[in-house]
Amino acid sequence: MTSQLPILAVAPLLFGAFAVTAGRFFYRRANYAVAALALAASFSASVLLAVSVLTQGAQVYFVGGWPPPIGISYVADPLSALMLAFVSGAALTTFLASKTEIETSYPLKNSAFYALFLLAVAGHMGIVITGDAFNLYVLVEVAALSGYAILAQGKDRAMLSSLNYLFVGSLGASLYLLGMGYLYIMTGSLNMADLSAIIAAQAPGGLVGVTALGAAFAVILAGLFIKMGLFPFHSWLPAAYSFCAAPAAALVAPLTTKVMAYVLVRMCLSVFTLKAAWSVPAINSLVVFLATAAILYGSFCALAQKSLRRMLCFILLAEVGYMAGGVFLGNRAGLTGTIYHIFADLLMTLCLFLAASNVERATGGRFADLGGLFRRMPVTAAALVMGGLSMIGVPPFCGFFSKWYLLSGAMAAGSYGFAGALVISSLVNAVLFFRLFEIGFFGRPGAACGPDEAAGQARPGAVPLFCDEMPAARLAPLCVAAASLVAMGLLTGDFVRLVADAVLPPGLG
Amino acid sequence: MHGLLAEFGDKFHYYAYFAIMMIGLYAMIAKTNLLKKCIGLGIFQTAIMLFYVSIGAKQGATIPIVDPALGTADPALYANPLPQVLMLTAIVVSVATLGVALALVQNLHRDHGSIEEDEILQRLRGQ
Repeated sequence: MTSQLPILAVAPLLFGAFAVTAGRFFYRRANYAVAALALAASFSASVLLAVSVLTQGAQVYFVGGWPPPIGISYVADPLSALMLAFVSGAALTTFLASKTEIETSYPLKNSAFYALFLLAVAGHMGIVITGDAFNLYVLVEVAALSGYAILAQGKDRAMLSSLNYLFVGSLGASLYLLGMGYLYIMTGSLNMADLSAIIAAQAPGGLVGVTALGAAFAVILAGLFIKMGLFPFHSWLPAAYSFCAAPAAALVAPLTTKVMAYVLVRMCLSVFTLKAAWSVPAINSLVVFLATAAILYGSFCALAQKSLRRMLCFILLAEVGYMAGGVFLGNRAGLTGTIYHIFADLLMTLCLFLAASNVERATGGRFADLGGLFRRMPVTAAALVMGGLSMIGVPPFCGFFSKWYLLSGAMAAGSYGFAGALVISSLVNAVLFFRLFEIGFFGRPGAACGPDEAAGQARPGAVPLFCDEMPAARLAPLCVAAASLVAMGLLTGDFVRLVADAVLPPGLG
Repeated sequence: MHGLLAEFGDKFHYYAYFAIMMIGLYAMIAKTNLLKKCIGLGIFQTAIMLFYVSIGAKQGATIPIVDPALGTADPALYANPLPQVLMLTAIVVSVATLGVALALVQNLHRDHGSIEEDEILQRLRGQ
């Protein structure tokens, strides 16, 4: 049973997607339950897998019983197993929190949304666990195509933004495929473990001597940066995430950029090997420069936004810079910071986007309408405060620890520009969120609270407590997401010991 | 000059796929017509497929299906089947991508009566 866990983490989602698609012709009302069941099954398999990998060591699963390099292998090491648990947990949380939101955002298309949601999650799970470089490309496209379809349903500009995302995203995936072609010419293999052994033998001094490997690395990086939304390739991200319906944003925003950052780490760590990946100084300094630019650009654009979700989208751009920069600082602290930040940022984005979805449902989400938020929606606002404090980097929350590792990595590497950008981004986040808190605590509620409130009563004191609060079914998943920020922060030491130290090569300084 | 020609002749398929890829990229960046952008994306992806198939080709080799007359002893007699198999998958992916893109374009046309990106943006700003 435990030996089958890697496939059991992904398979329920695929079968669930088919069952939901077929179910719309038979018994439509069961579809929500079927989809939730598939997500729950996948989540429990991932958690069991993570526990067994963390206690007993990495597992390799041969899909269909074919051993690599001929067959496709699924590799569950501490990093990928825990990532699986986080991805499926985030998807399950979003799905449970968004039941009413899905039913109102996608009238008549519930079943299609459930199927696409499951396929998107299956794609992301597959990307995380696969040990085959070409399989990874196919799964990137599975995840992305379902993503385009669910992001396209929304207000005015959603469809055009999603189409632009499709063009840019397909370009990124194609570049990854092209780079993989170079790798295949040089090595004759597509299995990641096989590739890293051959590359280590071919390029003992790094990529500098072997031009084609260097070209493959550069093209793959370009493809991944486009899919991650790193600074010069970012234009699709805020547009695609800010116009779509709230559940789609709450699903795709925590998953896509983080899973792509995971692929970046995976490529550097287990395909090209760190020695080769860091062997070209020009690439290292270019990526750190782009990351610095991304952090500054994202932070300052976030200052200019007038609605909650758009502000979060630009903060997300800055977070992408954190993750890309940390990989290429060239030391252990930077890479640990990136690995930790992938998980921490997944939780932070999940918490903030779920809170934003509640706020939007009640108020529309424009800053001008958020007055009195802490009285009208105390629980949602509390979660928003926790997410915000974590983004700023206040100690018990997980955001602090990733910044700590990244900063010490940047200092050790001498990248003072990157270190400065990290600090500035923290300060800008503090301004952003405290402005939000000020509006929420002291702002006057503009629109009437509930249909029967007269405009004359709109004093902060006159607004009844909890008057706009969401039902408990939406608040419970949000509270879990917010609590996980503290839990992740408190468990930092264990996380670094069990995950980062387990996957990083031992001699790394 | 001779060396340059030989270099070009040996690797002409790389130059060819690169030229085709750039044509596709140009269409995606420079055209405002959404259908032309879709076509550009198709050209871009096809160039990568050509690249893959060309690296599996060998001088004088036949298609990768076992021929009883040739036997299986000498793999040099057959083209490398793996890149072709990979590209079959990539073709399926690109068909699906094109399908989603065309569905989106069709919906945009239904909502805005145009497939020109600048006209649609103008209408959206007007709202």
